Amino acid sequence: MRAHLLVLAPLAAAAAPVDFAHEVVPVLRKHCAECHTGEKKKGGLSMNTLAELLEGGENGPVLVPGKPDESKLVTVVVAPADSEERMPPKGKGLDAREADLLRRWVAEGAPWTPGFAFKAPAYEPPLRPRRPALPEAVEGRTHAVDRVLDAWLRARRQPIPAAADDSAFLRRAHLDLIGVLPTAEEARAFLADASPDKRDRLVRSLLVRNVDYADHWMTFWNDLLRNDYAGTGYIDGGRRQITRWLHRSLLENRPYDRMVRELVNPVPGSEGFAQGIIWRGSVSVAQGRELQYSQSVSQVLLGINMKCASCHDSFTDRWKLRDAYGLAAIFGEKPLELVRCDVPTGRAAVAAWPFPELGQVDPAAPRAERLRQLADLMVHPDNGRLRRTVANRIWHRLMGRGLVHPVDAMETPPWSEELLDVLANRLADNGHDLRDLIAFIATSQAYKSRAEVLAPSAAEAAAYVYRGPRARRLTAEQFVDALWRLTDTAPQKFDAELDPPAAAASAPRLAAKAIWSDDTPAGALPAAGESRVLRRVFPLSKPPSRALATVTCDNAFELVVNGRSVGRGGEWWEPRILDLTPHLRVGSNEIRLLARNGGEGPNAAAAWLQAHLRFPGGETMSLATDAGWEWSPRGEPGAAWRPVRVLDDTAVWERGERALAEQLAQLQGFPRLAARASLVKADLLQRSLGRPNREQVVSERPNDLSTLEAIDLSNGPALAGILAQGARNLLARDWKSPGEMVDWIWLSALCRPPTATERRIAIGLLGEQPGEQSVADLVWSVLMLPEFATVR
Amino acid sequence: MNPLPLDPSLPAPLARREFLRLLGAAGLATLALPAPRLRAEPAAKPAHPPARADACILVWLAGGMAAPETFDPKRYAPYEKGLPYSKLLSTFPSIPTAVDGLRFCQGLESIASVMDRGAIIRSAVQPDLGNILHSRHQYHWHTGYVPPQTVHCPHIGAWMAKVLGPRNPVMPAFVNVGQRLEGVGESEELKAFTTAGFFGGEFGPMNLPYPDQAAAAVRPPKGMDAGRFASREREFRRLVDASPDRERLSDHHQQSMLRAMDNAHRLLSAKERASFDLSLEDADSRRAYGDSRFAQGCLLARRLVEAGTRFVEVTTEYVPFLHWDTHGKGHETVARMHREIDRPIAQLILDLESRGMLDRTLVIVASEFSRDAMIEGRVGSTAGDQSHHRGATIEHPDHYGLHRHFTGGTSVLLFGGGVRRGLIHGATAEERPLVATRDPVSVEDLHATIFTAMGISPKTAYDIEGRPFYATIDGKGVAAPILR
Repeated sequence: MRAHLLVLAPLAAAAAPVDFAHEVVPVLRKHCAECHTGEKKKGGLSMNTLAELLEGGENGPVLVPGKPDESKLVTVVVAPADSEERMPPKGKGLDAREADLLRRWVAEGAPWTPGFAFKAPAYEPPLRPRRPALPEAVEGRTHAVDRVLDAWLRARRQPIPAAADDSAFLRRAHLDLIGVLPTAEEARAFLADASPDKRDRLVRSLLVRNVDYADHWMTFWNDLLRNDYAGTGYIDGGRRQITRWLHRSLLENRPYDRMVRELVNPVPGSEGFAQGIIWRGSVSVAQGRELQYSQSVSQVLLGINMKCASCHDSFTDRWKLRDAYGLAAIFGEKPLELVRCDVPTGRAAVAAWPFPELGQVDPAAPRAERLRQLADLMVHPDNGRLRRTVANRIWHRLMGRGLVHPVDAMETPPWSEELLDVLANRLADNGHDLRDLIAFIATSQAYKSRAEVLAPSAAEAAAYVYRGPRARRLTAEQFVDALWRLTDTAPQKFDAELDPPAAAASAPRLAAKAIWSDDTPAGALPAAGESRVLRRVFPLSKPPSRALATVTCDNAFELVVNGRSVGRGGEWWEPRILDLTPHLRVGSNEIRLLARNGGEGPNAAAAWLQAHLRFPGGETMSLATDAGWEWSPRGEPGAAWRPVRVLDDTAVWERGERALAEQLAQLQGFPRLAARASLVKADLLQRSLGRPNREQVVSERPNDLSTLEAIDLSNGPALAGILAQGARNLLARDWKSPGEMVDWIWLSALCRPPTATERRIAIGLLGEQPGEQSVADLVWSVLMLPEFATVR
Repeated sequence: MNPLPLDPSLPAPLARREFLRLLGAAGLATLALPAPRLRAEPAAKPAHPPARADACILVWLAGGMAAPETFDPKRYAPYEKGLPYSKLLSTFPSIPTAVDGLRFCQGLESIASVMDRGAIIRSAVQPDLGNILHSRHQYHWHTGYVPPQTVHCPHIGAWMAKVLGPRNPVMPAFVNVGQRLEGVGESEELKAFTTAGFFGGEFGPMNLPYPDQAAAAVRPPKGMDAGRFASREREFRRLVDASPDRERLSDHHQQSMLRAMDNAHRLLSAKERASFDLSLEDADSRRAYGDSRFAQGCLLARRLVEAGTRFVEVTTEYVPFLHWDTHGKGHETVARMHREIDRPIAQLILDLESRGMLDRTLVIVASEFSRDAMIEGRVGSTAGDQSHHRGATIEHPDHYGLHRHFTGGTSVLLFGGGVRRGLIHGATAEERPLVATRDPVSVEDLHATIFTAMGISPKTAYDIEGRPFYATIDGKGVAAPILR
């Protein structure tokens, strides 16, 4: 058929060939569908498929491709209205243009879009919530998710997936829930923990790390809400970011129904989603603001594709032009005219949302009221579609494949309707708490099972069979965050405009005193460029699970713990939070501040540090600059140490001390110690790893590594530069042996110790005296392992 | 397909055999191909026309090349103070070409001399997209779809990579030469179409903004010698081999990842990577092209095609208000652009011919639209005037030139693979408005011409979000009758 057309096409250049999808289908749908499609077969004739149409009806064939005069389909529609054979039997029938279109289409050989069918959709997803009865728990697997899945597997005689090992679970949970890998210390502690409930405890402990959670899930929501977009349409300042609103919503774990309300009916800060992208020049109405709103709201929140219906009644599902325009008209400030394939129809769009069975927007109401009504309907308790859509997205993120897949096509049957209902109900029943839903999934045995080993046939198979979570490639952001942490190369500053961290209700009092050496004569000030080493020696009887310090100095400092540099700072009013955990040890510890006064003449100088140490049992310890600190001009071995001077009048540093106190509040949680990849603009490395420019909604990123990406990873200057710096940073740490470094890299990158063989290969690569090149090459080799590059 | 010989100057990766064994099930034949990308499947299996060319070079004169200043000269009006713009059609006198009845603007003598090897379309037209934005028209030209679109549209080079695959499995199928995508104006807009879109990254362009640095793109990272590069690869493969999760070695996802790494390593150690290194080109040949960045890009395009790349785009580069984007000083700038493109383009044609490659290589020279001294957009367009000089008369040499964007008719040159020689297709008016008066060729029709020459049906379609997406919009492009 296609080949036939191809030959014809150049000849027919004068009159463009008839377009089946856009011209013929609407005519057949309008005049014939009622009696001849779906279940209906009046006169034995069905038009569902080309094959059925060619088969004809009770009175023989109706369509002879290429021969309109022999095709009843063409002749009966122009028969006199009162004649027996005229079709359709009632009503005005086809007009001359429509009849001519049919004739030309048949003359051109009746081309039919392959796979197209008029059938009514076989599956209509339920709208209202449903409460399926849970199957009996077996073998003590009582989690609702497992009760449903175990029964599903039993019914299909499929084995229950084996449990994942601790390392795999630890790594998966970290990457899925907060997007960063555990430190080597955290990994060691988890692997050594023998308590049976440690996996559930881990899930809960990760989800309370507000900042880490919010930073990580920004990637998911930015993709979905087209936020952090810098492309076309921005040239005229046409689109507002919703970063601040989004990050705060995640940080505070705002209920999902509230987020939906604020996206549909915007509040200050969330307008960017609803307003969409303003394009320059003249743009198809189907891409105007109103239709963008219709498309974004329906795709993101309801899993409905309104893109087809924005131009014409959809050929693939039940949505019609008037549905797409109905949502658009709710948002529109002015009345909208229905435009079909860029041709105005003369009909006005009527504000409406797609599920009138739950109530309808009043088209006569003012815009603000219409938006409020839409928001009400969207979060209506009976709108199960809203909860199912987001629950499916979360399941997809954690388990690697949607219950409905692809996740934007919610009209597709889920492979387990019961499970989708269980998840949607969990969300609705628990205050629309997204973190609770994540915890709910992550504490199931299903989430704790071993990732499916994917056979090539299974990867593309149409019918999905659940065999455990599916491995996913790390997102660009996860990869870069892991790389930065492993090599200690994360930048301090980031691009995203976030609210400053909320001040704690009761900020802890700053215990740190301003200290400096005691050798400045009374009435004088320290000299410009004066350097002082300030230190504190203290014992620890056990290693802390986490030790953070807030530090600053007028004018600059380097913090050295047990001989290893931990970090530097330069602006006294911008204290830094530094992680001391990996540098502390059982026995005697020394913290040194290499402090330096700036300026051009004598001026005030001081340094502050306050550390908060937490131990596995839950005990805490605090350590702050005070009279117990000592100083020395250079701090060389054998140097004499004298007590520091505590400066009483700190009024000039009020701003710095306030900032220290604010950071102190964060030390007890999990503050952001450096930038996260999701908060910086996409650079070449992140782009190369698949971070999209979000011109369209992105609900799934490519899972495969492309050759060009592999080339970038093999020789790209960005990664090579980070690896070189990272190798220097790693070499600056205190390793007893190359083997110790290898163990640390494996634990930090893969959450497991190396096997004997791996250890041997890695030590061989490092050589006796590990150098910058060999360390960089080892780290590269580990980063390229599929085990590293996937969440599994 | 046999694996290609590795560069003998590099130590052979010892563990290669072992590594390939691990990829076992995939087999060597599939290993030579990129990882499967089945997100989009052909919706229609069209009958492809016979391929007249195997490779395609798009010479992209970005920024709006004025046809009356280049390949479609009109009445010449020399500079004079007070000249009314209404009298200005061309700022260059015309010269004859190798084809009877075909004249070009002065300054393009070299290209004029090779026109007997190609055809010219004089009647390419663009739609009115309202206010002119180069990158929107460029998006349209490169993808066949007017932005914005609800799906991520692939570049025509990605179509060729997807439908035809690589000519040589070692080489990237689609290479983009001479365009920076970072640090230039409208760079996000450029990235929006410099992509494989929904086909996935495997079919996207390898970007080489600086031809003289192209070799670095296929070399081990800076500061890493060949020995270290090979040994890093060897140790990496040993680690893969030592992976404790034996069962997962057969995992589809893992294999696809390793295959990509293997493809990358193969290019980075294959003899074909020499094609990226312009310093290996014979000195006489380099001289014949010239030493501008664009000239080097043309030479690089020839080398890449010779080594097996399917599609190369090489550009004078789009930077807002530079090069062909003349909002002022048009004559002076275009005279410079003549010098920049004349020899390299002609030499590219002659070089391909002397190497016996021209018959199977399609070369296209095009731009997103033309320019005019009076009209912005097209006749009757409401597009805002973007010229820097808005008076009725020319009062300064800077005013002398075609400073407005014009979409009503422009020229496209095509050479080689399947193109009828010495053909002139279509025409534009001799008096303003200089619109196409005969045989207009839309972007869709132009793409249909290019795809047809390459053996791709313009009706080829892939399913995306449950609907067909065609190589030319709705499969409607019709090839211009310029092919043999």
